[in-house]
Amino acid sequence: MNGRHAAPTPDPGHGTDDGSDPGKAPEDHAGFVAVSVRLTGFDEFDLRATGLVRLYHDTTLDQVGRPAVGRFLADLDAAGGDPDRITDETSRDIARAITHLWYLGVWPQLARSTHAALRRERANTAFVVSPEAYTEGLVWRTFHGHPPGAKPPGHGTWAAAPPGAPVRPVARRTEGAA
Amino acid sequence: MSAGPAGRDARRHDVIVVGAGMAGSLLAKQLGDQGWRVLVLEAGTRTLDTWPGYLDALDTYYAATAKVPNAPYRPNAAAPSPSVLDLEGLPAGGYRAHGYFLQNGPLPYSSDYLRATGGTAMHWMGIVPRMHPEDFAVRRRYGYGRDWPIGYDDLEPHYRAAERALGVAGDADEQREGAGLPFPPGYVYPMRAIPRSYLDAVLAHRLDGAAVRERPDGPDTVLRVVATPHARNGTPDPRYDGGRGHRPAGAAGLPNYGERCVGNASCVPICPVQAKYNPLKTQATWSPRVTLVDRAVVSRVLTAANGRVRGVEYQRYDDPATPAHTTRTAEADIVVLAAHAIENARLLLVSRLAGSSGQVGRNLMDHPMLLTWGLMDQQVGPFRGPGSTSGLESFRTGPARGTRAPFRIEIGNWGWSWPAGSPGTDVARLLGIDADTGRPRGRGVFGKKLRESLGRDLGRQFSLQFAFEQEAESRNRVTIDPSHRDPLGNPRPVLTYDLSEHVKRGMAAARTVSDQIFRLLGAEDRTGYAPGPLAPGWFRHDGRDYVFNGAGHGGGTHIMGTTARTSVVDQWQRCWDHPNLYAVGCGSMPSMGTSNPSLTMAALALRSGERIHRDLRELKGPATVGRQQGGRP
Ligand SMILES: Cc1cc2nc3c(=O)[nH]c(=O)nc-3n(C[C@H](O)[C@H](O)[C@H](O)COP(=O)(O)OP(=O)(O)OC[C@H]3O[C@@H](n4cnc5c(N)ncnc54)[C@H](O)[C@@H]3O)c2cc1C
Ligand code: SF4
Repeated sequence: MNGRHAAPTPDPGHGTDDGSDPGKAPEDHAGFVAVSVRLTGFDEFDLRATGLVRLYHDTTLDQVGRPAVGRFLADLDAAGGDPDRITDETSRDIARAITHLWYLGVWPQLARSTHAALRRERANTAFVVSPEAYTEGLVWRTFHGHPPGAKPPGHGTWAAAPPGAPVRPVARRTEGAA
Repeated sequence: MSAGPAGRDARRHDVIVVGAGMAGSLLAKQLGDQGWRVLVLEAGTRTLDTWPGYLDALDTYYAATAKVPNAPYRPNAAAPSPSVLDLEGLPAGGYRAHGYFLQNGPLPYSSDYLRATGGTAMHWMGIVPRMHPEDFAVRRRYGYGRDWPIGYDDLEPHYRAAERALGVAGDADEQREGAGLPFPPGYVYPMRAIPRSYLDAVLAHRLDGAAVRERPDGPDTVLRVVATPHARNGTPDPRYDGGRGHRPAGAAGLPNYGERCVGNASCVPICPVQAKYNPLKTQATWSPRVTLVDRAVVSRVLTAANGRVRGVEYQRYDDPATPAHTTRTAEADIVVLAAHAIENARLLLVSRLAGSSGQVGRNLMDHPMLLTWGLMDQQVGPFRGPGSTSGLESFRTGPARGTRAPFRIEIGNWGWSWPAGSPGTDVARLLGIDADTGRPRGRGVFGKKLRESLGRDLGRQFSLQFAFEQEAESRNRVTIDPSHRDPLGNPRPVLTYDLSEHVKRGMAAARTVSDQIFRLLGAEDRTGYAPGPLAPGWFRHDGRDYVFNGAGHGGGTHIMGTTARTSVVDQWQRCWDHPNLYAVGCGSMPSMGTSNPSLTMAALALRSGERIHRDLRELKGPATVGRQQGGRP
């Protein structure tokens, strides 16, 4: 156990072409990106800028297998593209996992029931898919942050008000002035 | 030694230093500069002092699922390190210990250290307040713990020397007024203060001048947010050293690189630009008379006649993954143990040395930490800058110490990462992912809803980190048990640890203070303490639940005192029983106050260096000092 997992090798014969992404240009995983936009709330530009589309696509296939991904896509379609309306619990858990991957760079443990339903022949463990996956996590962007240990904003920047905060601290909002 | 200084053995050294951590590196530097031939034996590997090796550690950190202090550093079977992940809380309270330490105390010792060249300070936070003058006399003044044989005034010049060696950034005037610390008139730190965080400014705005009470009928304590001194590069102060200024130390392994702190916000466990002080920087300035041998695990101190020691036995290995090794010995006039409080005690116990007081391994201390956390009513910019840039210093001193442990409050700049594993846990929770995979999952939210919810709440996270003084208690101790050994056959440390009533009363007072601070801030308190796998430090006191953490500040295990009967080392950190054996580090400290201990430890090490220099001159005579010999083996 080294706690560090190499990027999964994509299924032979699939390369960058992904037949399970219906109706989208296959060479750049357009279908996976479109689904990811719905799952994450970030737009295509943000997702592609991470440079991780292919790795995440391949990781997902590798972790749950092509048939389950196919059923997930069909369920999402049936839900009108709104992940919140997916009712099948296995598909919903795959939605959780892909979203978790984008936000943190970590493939999470699946629910035990999902793991069993998919008959996965691998350990149900969480792992960071690559060092870049951590530094490109979307979660930091939700509040204008940066991943600890990377993309440092510069000396003294922590003294400045974050976006949306008053430049100079103000009295608390509740119960009037302190 | 009587055989004469010229040495029968060309490889003979004047001093052996065991451990290339902070204490050992500073001491080796000082003695090497004074002309002595120093052999430094280091148990860990030496991969961090090249730039590629350092970057590899950074990548390992990025790729680690649990970003704990030891995450960037490769495991080493030959010189195992404890990890905070070794502890597991049980569902109804209590804990289980896996890993390097064996633990049998009522509560767990919850701190780690790092056995690699550079030592634990590779992943320290780099916060360096001085101890308060009254911290040196807690028994005399407040009736608990143990007193130092020396006082603040004895150590003051060495504090300055340590602040120079670590390149400290701070505001001495603010420390004087806000923390009550005496400095010589006109003193400035080598570097100007590191800017305080926006969060600090929000807290200062809402708290400065407000009063809180530990008991309804107790006295008022007035709050004030005070900036913290740091061992990290900021802007050099041209007034330093009588106007000579200060030249900051760059990164080890990459010449001419090394920046000011740029706000990576990962000081623990690794500073990517080495703005934070680490001992590799000191090693880079060692004289050629200092020789470092890595992958050399000292297994025993060797004795000579009349209570003196003659050297050490060590195990040299090639591959940190396999326990194959060869056993060697090295000799010197003076041996200095600088292997960390717990390892120093372990080595003394294995070697059956310094035992006449019965105190070796006893008085194990840490700074137990209580964390409280909540949401501010506005964005405060968490997860930015050094882990803490200010604190509340009003509870560190004064008569209340007679009844409860004093505490220092660090303002935590990194959201709930320490108390609650944020932001990973927040993402998982919103997605409906429970850590227990057997439980049914929540529906979860996706898309814009998820993004907005995280943006709103993560940006309002903050925490308070209460660090308590833990007094010396002989029942808290390190022992060894020959039936439990590491892969090289060295007995592993067995720890017995608990918190006293004094400490627990301090925690109760802190919780009351925290409640009032949250009210003054108008913040939502989200603190919760429940037993469970992630809460090995859970306990109940006076009907209330608490969970404490370790600070990484292990000390007390070779305690300093005024007599051989009651203590292990004298005021010079020299073993009472062995005039040429020193044990340096936090293990010597009879009390640790509420200050992060390493600055005081560094000051003590430099003070010991002066004594060792005098010892060597007495042993060898000034004329025989090997200044011109180069000293390479
Ligand atoms: C997470 C964390 C944060 C911290 N933050 C702060 C802070 O902000 N401020 C502060 O003041 N302190 C802080 N500390 C404490 C600080 O790191 C220690 O006080 C300091 O590093 C101790 O220095 P040392 O030289 O005694 O021991 P170490 O730094 O542990 O060095 C000991 C060295 O000896 C070597 N060694 C061990 N056994 C042997 C052996 N048998 N043979 C040969 N070599 C051996 C080790 O490999 C190591 O290199 C922190 C600690 C932790 C864990
Ligand atoms: S905040 Fe970043 S740059 Fe500054 S000391 Fe910490 S890790 Fe280094």
